Amino acid sequence: MIRYALMRLALLAAGLVVASVIIFFTLRILPGDVAQLIGGTNSTPEQIAAIRDRLNLDAPLAAQYLDWVGGVLRGDLGASLLTGTPVAAELAQKAQITLPLGALSLIIALLFAGPLGVVSALRRSRLGGTVIGVGAQTLAAVPVVWAGMMLVIVFAVWWGVLPAQGFPRDGWSDPGAALRSLVLPALTIGIVEGAMLLRFVRSATLQAMGQDYVRTAASQGLTRTRALIRHGLPGVGLSVVTVLGLQVAGIIVGAVVIEQLFSLPGIGRMLVRDVSARDLPMVQGELLALTAFVLLVGFVVDLVHRLIDPRQRESGA
Amino acid sequence: MHRRTPLALAALVAAAVLSLSACAPSTTPTPTGSPDADSSVVVRLALEPTNLDIRQTSGSALDQILIDNLYQGLVARTPEQEIVPALASDWTVSDDRLTYTFTLREGVTFHDGQPLTPEDVVFSLTQHRDNAGWVDASTLANVTGVTADGQKITLTLSEPDSQLLWNLSGRAGIILKEGDGVDYQTAANGTGPFTLERWTRGDNITFARNPAYWGTPAKAAEVVFDYIPDNQAALNAALAGEVDVVTGFDANLKTQIEANGDFSLVVGDSTDKGTLAFNQTSGPLADKRVRQAIRQAIDHDAFVEALGAGKTMYGPIPSLDPGYEDLSEVAPYDPDAAKKLLADAGAADTTLTLTIPSFYPPTISQLLVSDLNAVGITLKVDSVDFPTWLTNVYTNHDYELSFVLHTEARDFINWTNPEYYFTYDNPQVTQLYTQARAATTDEEAAKLLAQAARIVSDDAAADWLYNGASVVAVGTNVSGFPSVNVNERLNVTELGKSNG
Repeated sequence: MIRYALMRLALLAAGLVVASVIIFFTLRILPGDVAQLIGGTNSTPEQIAAIRDRLNLDAPLAAQYLDWVGGVLRGDLGASLLTGTPVAAELAQKAQITLPLGALSLIIALLFAGPLGVVSALRRSRLGGTVIGVGAQTLAAVPVVWAGMMLVIVFAVWWGVLPAQGFPRDGWSDPGAALRSLVLPALTIGIVEGAMLLRFVRSATLQAMGQDYVRTAASQGLTRTRALIRHGLPGVGLSVVTVLGLQVAGIIVGAVVIEQLFSLPGIGRMLVRDVSARDLPMVQGELLALTAFVLLVGFVVDLVHRLIDPRQRESGA
Repeated sequence: MHRRTPLALAALVAAAVLSLSACAPSTTPTPTGSPDADSSVVVRLALEPTNLDIRQTSGSALDQILIDNLYQGLVARTPEQEIVPALASDWTVSDDRLTYTFTLREGVTFHDGQPLTPEDVVFSLTQHRDNAGWVDASTLANVTGVTADGQKITLTLSEPDSQLLWNLSGRAGIILKEGDGVDYQTAANGTGPFTLERWTRGDNITFARNPAYWGTPAKAAEVVFDYIPDNQAALNAALAGEVDVVTGFDANLKTQIEANGDFSLVVGDSTDKGTLAFNQTSGPLADKRVRQAIRQAIDHDAFVEALGAGKTMYGPIPSLDPGYEDLSEVAPYDPDAAKKLLADAGAADTTLTLTIPSFYPPTISQLLVSDLNAVGITLKVDSVDFPTWLTNVYTNHDYELSFVLHTEARDFINWTNPEYYFTYDNPQVTQLYTQARAATTDEEAAKLLAQAARIVSDDAAADWLYNGASVVAVGTNVSGFPSVNVNERLNVTELGKSNG
């Protein structure tokens, strides 16, 4: 188990190195630069050159890359070209919105997909199961932006019970207000991600119902539902843990769109802003942090999976 | 007596201008309840500054909120573009227009408590002139000397400059504290009626009333500029009661915002110029007949109608700027004339590419595609993000047609610079502009500018799709929000909110 964990950790580190190369060099393909943006539409070529010089943008790419990676290894993600603010400090501040938003979205997705997925599998030949199945198909196909708009119109504009956009200006100092401003965005991501998860839970449950041990249990006098709940669901739970890594990636992508729509000053909105300002040190730091986070979740999921699934423990190294 | 006359006159003019601007419909009607001195007013803006360094970072998002509110110059301008006293209580101009003498107010302090001294003024203006990297440095090029004698500040010029006071009311004239250690990228230290309370990047900038302000204090205790790029999200925020004022409002959504009676729409003039630039250095657009044909193929009224606000424009100078005149007869909408011009130029079946930043509404390219298609020009649309536009179009001049909304007031100078991305080169225009700057009266300057503008339009140097409007949705309990040219300057000193 320890050997497996170490191997898996080495893989994670290698993944991060590859990611850093891809992030750094693909960003350099983008046309346009921050000096031009600072200079604006009344600047002369001399002014732009002076800004490039001030920001040290003309160093060779390889040197810039090594400089960045060296800094990251020392725990320094660099600083914004526009304001000089350290990337890590901005990330920490914005994570206070994005992480709770992601966690809340995940909880909503699980609460919604788990029970409904199982029920729709158990009732697959009845009307209820069909309705849930078709409903999930439809919801999974709904664009996140549209779902968000609908929720805003109903809950904020019509009923006025939840804020339409933004985050309290003094952050989490009033946790109730902060949480309220996350409800609609989290619902939006949670429902769309949950609909995808629901289909997965449904098929995992159907598969479990066809397993020999569930059928054996049923033949020993348990009802099909009870047999499934007692013997089948742990297996379903295990499969769900496996897809959680993918769900986290999906939620992060969702957060980029949703933070824009709801004007939430989180990592997603910061990313969009920094790309459009070509503030590359910021973008690099943000993307690397997000990649590290997703890889880390995958790592933890793999370990947990191995710990709770006896079959993998026996056959594995 | 002799010395007091210009002083008294200046005071009288200033008072008249101030009272005029108070009566003119430059601000929204005052609601019934009186403003609450403790109120916090939330204003939606679309475009956030990249950083707060007003010396070295360009972009109207900075001028818009920082000047007048945080930073001040010797003089300021009203929404009607009149020059009024600010840190200088008055000024005189010598008969040869080469010496400007300002009287600096006493008892003015910066936000950190340091006093404003005449030396700070000399420092700020000379620094701004001498640092080529500072925005608008070139506008002070004619200033040969800045000196202080007591509270008298004297500017001497190498030649008359009809634009000097205007430029001093903008970025170039901002007064900073000499030797200040403030980090201008994220903080500010000015003399204005507000202090910078907080900047949460990507979210909002908050100003607080400056309790030590030398002039009439701000009406609101706090003004929050909430940056919401998406128009629909801004509308939702307004309807949910989260913002008090929405600028840059889509006029087509008027009925939606006015439905519940909490907001009314205020439309004012602006210097926004929807400019369709022609790269006239080579290809079909080097031929004036082709450029003229494009201008006549475009139904300008349809643009104004589709945007729901604004007015048509047929030359480089908008109606708020000196030198404006109606040039509609230069390029009337006439598709048949356009077809004939294209045939004469041997360009009857031409394909052109329009490079347009992606944040403009798709309506603009759609209308252009259909108008040009009607006269036989196939228009391809290349929608790019703004940094790409800056590199390809602005810097490398690698484009055929380009659309950008130029918001700056009095930016005619770009038509005199062949290196500018407009690629327009006419020495006669440059000469008229130089004469206009050296003119000794405003009337003469305006007359010369009008002549130059007519030539630019006659040459079909570009087309102007529309002169935008300032469209603002203002809460019915909000008073004192400016309505003219708010993309360029947004003085919120008079902004107030009542509880009623």
